[in-house]
Amino acid sequence: MSTPVPAPPRRRLIRLAGALVVLLTLVTATACSSAVDDLKTSSGERKEGGVLRVGALQDIVPARIFTNSSDSINVLIGSVYDSLIDYPRDSLEPQPSLATTWQLSDDGKQLTLQLRDDVKFHSGRPFTSKDVEFSIKTWADPAWTVQLQRTAAAITGFDTSDEHAITLTFAHPLSNIFDLLDMLPIIDRDTIDQLREGKAFVGTGPFEFDAWSPGAKISFKRNDAYWRGKPALDGIEVSVIPDPQAQVAQLRSHQLDLILGASYRDFESLGKDDQFHVNQWAGAEGQVYVGTNVTNPALSDIRVRQAIAYALDRERVVDEVLRGAGVPISAPWPDYSPAYDEKANATYDYDLDQAKKLVDEAKADGVAIPKLPLTYPSENPIYGAIAQIVQADLAKVGIEVELDPQEQAQVIQQLIGAKFPALWILSHGYANWTPSTLAVSAYPFNAEHNASLYVDKDYQAIADKVWNQKPGAVDPADYATLSKALLDGSFLLEIAITLPQDASSTQVHDIGQTKRGEPIFYDTYLTK
Amino acid sequence: MTLDVSLEEPLSPVPVGPVPGDLAPERRDSLLHALRHGRGLVGVVLVATVVVLGVLGPLVAPYGPTEQIKGANLLGPGAGHWLGTDELNRDILSRTLYGIRVDLVVVFAAVPVGAAAGVFLGLVTSWWTVTDVIAQRAFDLLLAFPALILGILLTAFLGPGVLTVGVVIVALEIPVFGRLVRTSVRTVREMPFVEASQVVGAGPWWVLRRHVLPNSLEPLTVQLAVSMSVAVFIEGAMSFLGLGVRPPHPSLGSLIKDGVRLLHEAPFFAVGPLAVVVALVLGLLLISQSLAEARRA
Repeated sequence: MSTPVPAPPRRRLIRLAGALVVLLTLVTATACSSAVDDLKTSSGERKEGGVLRVGALQDIVPARIFTNSSDSINVLIGSVYDSLIDYPRDSLEPQPSLATTWQLSDDGKQLTLQLRDDVKFHSGRPFTSKDVEFSIKTWADPAWTVQLQRTAAAITGFDTSDEHAITLTFAHPLSNIFDLLDMLPIIDRDTIDQLREGKAFVGTGPFEFDAWSPGAKISFKRNDAYWRGKPALDGIEVSVIPDPQAQVAQLRSHQLDLILGASYRDFESLGKDDQFHVNQWAGAEGQVYVGTNVTNPALSDIRVRQAIAYALDRERVVDEVLRGAGVPISAPWPDYSPAYDEKANATYDYDLDQAKKLVDEAKADGVAIPKLPLTYPSENPIYGAIAQIVQADLAKVGIEVELDPQEQAQVIQQLIGAKFPALWILSHGYANWTPSTLAVSAYPFNAEHNASLYVDKDYQAIADKVWNQKPGAVDPADYATLSKALLDGSFLLEIAITLPQDASSTQVHDIGQTKRGEPIFYDTYLTK
Repeated sequence: MTLDVSLEEPLSPVPVGPVPGDLAPERRDSLLHALRHGRGLVGVVLVATVVVLGVLGPLVAPYGPTEQIKGANLLGPGAGHWLGTDELNRDILSRTLYGIRVDLVVVFAAVPVGAAAGVFLGLVTSWWTVTDVIAQRAFDLLLAFPALILGILLTAFLGPGVLTVGVVIVALEIPVFGRLVRTSVRTVREMPFVEASQVVGAGPWWVLRRHVLPNSLEPLTVQLAVSMSVAVFIEGAMSFLGLGVRPPHPSLGSLIKDGVRLLHEAPFFAVGPLAVVVALVLGLLLISQSLAEARRA
């Protein structure tokens, strides 16, 4: 009988390692299939409470808490705060919220609002007209760099003699006053210093701020004393996950219930999977655009800017990047806006010959066009894809572009401070609101000071004209003039309307969204 | 009477030819033999294939690396596009061939530069105690940073790009090679033939050049192959994290990153670049293993 020869130690080690790999693979496969089986066997029965796990691309920045500049900020504002009125997503008809009724004076210079008397802040303090005054004055403070600062600053008088009513007096009629009242969160004056430091966010909304770990997590708990009634969820936990692909993976592996930041292609793919819902929020549109710094020597020539506008292949962006969840545009307005004009919207239809002709003319007149940096946020994949399409098209007409991906926070800082060196790609909102809001308030458009550093008396005049009128009283011809001023100036080159999307597991129900793009979880519930 | 003689060279020059401690010719032959047979040969073939593909890339690529082909959105592998196309309608095969060139620059430029700098620093500092202590603490500092952390740190100053990847790799290789040479210096300088050289007047530079460096070549060669494979990983990881080559230019790491992003929609996307990275890393590791074994033998 022969004794088996023991395998050499190295070979034994390799065998052991192999066995371990097989074992680990089996365990992982079992665990994964268990998670998937859990999902497939969900009963659909409503679950009491529960915490909604949300994936967001960007963290909050307390100093920019009122700027709607990140998805985490949108969750925070939508969950913690209420506004005086709410716009439905599909119209500009104000609906009651903290204000129950309102009366605008005949000359459009005074607005009286009746306020709810059963509302308390999360601190337990009752909500009063003084809080409305404080919130509006906070927005009027340029330190907060909010986009409707000019509208808030045009409110010059506050009658708060009644705790549950307030009369606002305006410097002039404000066509977009209800836009402000919808966007303005009512904030707690006692904790404003803590808000600045990111230590406390106290409002009257359905969820209370619980904790914030910068760069990682923000959590909220249910406000049991919410004036609309107790929300269904126990809380919300927002994880900051800057990689969209990681968000998708975590949703697929059931580590997240809802993701806010994925590419349209990912949403398209998730939509084909019956384990996920993809929501598309019409009425909360954004607009993706190419911005130009008109003080850049090459871009100061209108022909170069118009050439870029002609060279934007909007149809391709909508088809290939937005996967159909958008509309190509030259002017910012969606088709239901009072300023929408189909003909104006086709002003800069894709025309490379015309673009090249304009570039050649400019160069013949001595305009030097060096390689221009094109800045865009690196976190969101749609910007990178659009930037590369724009770069390829501009190269065809003789404009060389160097891509400059940066973090979203840096890009927003440059937007607010008007610090972009040449070109940038970003999204703006507000075109789905009263048109004057865009022209006098949005960072990229504000006629007094915009991110393009574009100054034009005609543009300023028409922006003021459509702003200084009673709501709903603006002549459509004035809107046509405003559109013409925007298109003639070509300082901001629209690419497409984008329809916001998010994706959730099928165990999440009744997510909402404001016109501002803030997710609403008041009605949201989970199923088993 | 004063004896005015420079002691940088020995009083009696050592005869030309192998000196004690030099690599014997048969040892050199065995290293070459290792690369011509077995694993070494497989490694050489794999690396050579990737190098040839990279060098000839512009000649054989059917499209430009950033060329966006109308209507070719995320096509699967086929006759027109052997590895398919990406979400921006670019031919993945062409991008892979151009992407190889970035890795070749990193592997065959940054690693040797880092190695040369490390060897030089290791040689000149480890002979004397004071410089040795200073250099070793500096190496400790560099080695304390994991590669990617160092990459992120340097990217903050230099911005993303292939130059930054190169600088990171050079910075990582300097202490690795410096330490390796130091070990040789401290071993060899105690040997009798070195002491004998010094007795007959050889200066440190002469000893380092004639005795220490030749004795370090074998481990350095092995380490060079290992470092090259690590460099491919570092380029890939940095590009994967967006710290490497800037879009729209391709590198193997950025191609894999794009492929992973589209894994559900286009699982074929990452296969080509991944295969090249595997071939390059595997080839370099096989070379280093065969060299190491030949050395031990």
